Amino acid sequence: MFLGLPGQGMHLHLDALSLLFLGILLPQTVASAAAGMYRSGTFWAFVLGMGLTLAAADAFTLIFGFELMSAASWLLVLRGDQKPATLYVGVAIFSAACLIPAVFLHGGAVMFLLIVLGAGAKAGLAPLHFWLPRAHPAPPAGVSALMSGGMVKVALYVIIRYGFVVLGQQAQPWWGGVLVAAGAASVLIGALRAMLETELKTVLACSTVEHVGLIAVGLGIALRAKAMGDETTAGLGLQAALLCAVAHGLYKPLLFIGAGEVKHSVGTTSLNWLGGLVRAMPRLGLLMLAGAAGMAALPLGPGFAPEFLLWHAAIGAAGAGGIVARIGFTALLAVLGLGAALAIGAAVRMFGIGFLGRPRSLQAAAAEEGERGPLIGMALLAALCVPVALLPNLILDALSPVIRLLEPQAVLPPLAYAPLPLAVLAALVAVGAAFILYRYGVRGSREVPAWNGGFGKPPPWLPFGDPTTQPSATGFGEPIARAIGRGLLAPGGGDPAEVFLLTPLTRLHLRGVRLAERIRRATIRQRLAFIFMALVAFLLALGLGEGS
Amino acid sequence: MLDFALRLIATLLHVWLTFALAPLVMGVVTTLRAWVLGRRGPPVIQPYRDLYKLLRKSTLVPETASQLFSAWPLACLLSIAVAAMLVPGFCTGLLTAPLSDFITIMGLLALARAATMLGGLETGFGFGGAGAGREALFGVFAEGALLVVLLGFGLLAHGVSVDGIAVAFSTQHIGISVSLGFALAAMLAVALTETGRIPTDNPAGHLELSMVHEAMLLEYSGRNLLLLTYAAMLRLLLWMSLIGSIFLPFGMARATDILTWPGGLVLWLLKIAAMAVVLPLFEVSSAKMRVFRVPEFLGVAMLLGMLAAIFLFVAARIGA
Repeated sequence: MFLGLPGQGMHLHLDALSLLFLGILLPQTVASAAAGMYRSGTFWAFVLGMGLTLAAADAFTLIFGFELMSAASWLLVLRGDQKPATLYVGVAIFSAACLIPAVFLHGGAVMFLLIVLGAGAKAGLAPLHFWLPRAHPAPPAGVSALMSGGMVKVALYVIIRYGFVVLGQQAQPWWGGVLVAAGAASVLIGALRAMLETELKTVLACSTVEHVGLIAVGLGIALRAKAMGDETTAGLGLQAALLCAVAHGLYKPLLFIGAGEVKHSVGTTSLNWLGGLVRAMPRLGLLMLAGAAGMAALPLGPGFAPEFLLWHAAIGAAGAGGIVARIGFTALLAVLGLGAALAIGAAVRMFGIGFLGRPRSLQAAAAEEGERGPLIGMALLAALCVPVALLPNLILDALSPVIRLLEPQAVLPPLAYAPLPLAVLAALVAVGAAFILYRYGVRGSREVPAWNGGFGKPPPWLPFGDPTTQPSATGFGEPIARAIGRGLLAPGGGDPAEVFLLTPLTRLHLRGVRLAERIRRATIRQRLAFIFMALVAFLLALGLGEGS
Repeated sequence: MLDFALRLIATLLHVWLTFALAPLVMGVVTTLRAWVLGRRGPPVIQPYRDLYKLLRKSTLVPETASQLFSAWPLACLLSIAVAAMLVPGFCTGLLTAPLSDFITIMGLLALARAATMLGGLETGFGFGGAGAGREALFGVFAEGALLVVLLGFGLLAHGVSVDGIAVAFSTQHIGISVSLGFALAAMLAVALTETGRIPTDNPAGHLELSMVHEAMLLEYSGRNLLLLTYAAMLRLLLWMSLIGSIFLPFGMARATDILTWPGGLVLWLLKIAAMAVVLPLFEVSSAKMRVFRVPEFLGVAMLLGMLAAIFLFVAARIGA
């Protein structure tokens, strides 16, 4: 071998966990390539890096793949926008600085914490998530899709690999607590920002932060339960986390590719300039609706089964343990409930403002259906969502070897949520309603100007009415911004991690640079004086030390 | 085989009664409210007449609406109807009992809410969007509160299916606990918000600016409005059945024992009637709150739910 540590080379090994994550990666890579990325060599280097990380059998190969993935994705982000690329490369260096020492340690809590810091910064776990809503929307849609759907999963894979397999025997309950706390913060901040951002791709990136948080909460509950010997909760938590990873790897790339098509067709992805797109782009609109149903975790969509399992796992975790931990899990349930409803609001806002209603700009009014390649990619992902949505039991059966690998004693109860019978019941009601409506009702419908509370028809020079009279994305989020945003976000609506972590760090960095600059610019007299003072201080210290 | 046949008949009876009685319950509430206010009020069967009238009216579709305009009322009705089939009414052990996980029901109610919100955003005029934004805000707190309350039930009943909770609470001796009182208060607050009653929303309001639920239905007419109105009626009965089977589970029949059915039916009707009397009394004795007071109202509900769970932890700790 030419690569690898001298005398050791690189080793690849595929077990159930690697195969699962490679399976998550495959459909979105195909879809992104179909969306037009197949021409880019950097894109394939990015995919190769992710695949290498997942298939690695030794620490060096893992780090090599991870850094190849970081570097290639940095080049791809740079192609979109320079400013987030700088932030992105900073975070990538930080995560490398945590991961590289960690993988060569021999176990222990420090190793676990370094892994969580390094891989968590890459996955977008709070408080190191601030780069994600900036960097993920920057590159072309196919890359955004793979970064959101694939790269964060690879980072989570590293956490799972080390937390459950490599360090599995040494796990402590509080390790799980760390993951649960970081995940809960990500859920809340991610869902809230997804509800308030106005840029379509930023909304999707914030929603990714939320879903990474959900996966981390599931993993944390499982890790804690594993260390405490609670096999049912461990099984539920792992099922929730892995199923969420599978589902998120399908609908989030779909949404990102769709956002790219919106950008291509309208020229902007700001929700405040879109509107009424489902009339002009019916196929894209319906595919986006399917993705939005997954993002909102609504029943009969792909996102509901993981959420169902996660809530059961959290209720199970709150049922045992010390009283402080149980109160913490009660608060976690409140956070999960808030996050779920905020995710519904964000998905409704994304689809309702962007695709329903009246066009807010001429470009939105003149939008045309998306191109064939991206639509085929999206349709592939949507088709794969169907079994996840309607037959989650089969998917969970397929996941059971992975769960056995991570926790050999895990108890896997059958899923109590059965979408197929629910769909059958809904179909029965639909048949009954259709019979009554068509047998006794008045058929057909008439197109008329909207009633709009009695206001008059818009004048002929405004064919879609005055765009300012329609609720904007900002206006739709305003009640939530007023009621929750003021308490949870930093003043001015910024991300708390950005304002309380990144800004102080930037200020510290600036101060250090100024100090270094002042030393560099010192005159010869100042330098001589400094050397003289240092000499005096040294002699003084020496003399005082000798004298006593 | 006999058991299955009995459960099937009980399920069909439950579904038929729920679907048939939902407008009547709404009519009783409206009439009683008018009486308490000193007015004569419409006859209690007025909702049936309204539904029939809507059935015979032509359906108007706004020019600015998309092709999905008529899909949202149907989605709303279907999810509410499926949820109403899952919540046990007069008896436990229905065929739908294995599906009746509380989280599934929460999800179906959220699906109905999302469909209504999308219907409100459909035409792109101000009132619908404003109503949908407010509904999103209410939903956030309602869902958080409901999930915390659910934890209390799960701890007491060792399971979170509504059927299981009803069976556990009617057979085990739980007694009157402070936790259940808090949980009841929290659940009532969520139920009032979800069904759009005073103090969070006024179902009889006619000012578009202060509407929440009604504002999202403004552009709907004919059969679409019929579906949405009927879904609202079903939702009211669903919440009454849900609260009845969790907090007043005494006398619920068992589906496999036909002799208990008449008692269960009479008691179920009595419980619904009692709630239909209490609701208008509560409504006329309180005023509608400002939109931004509602998060505080529901925040209190969430805190009560958390307190209920914490009291249960403490009780388990000291062995009470």
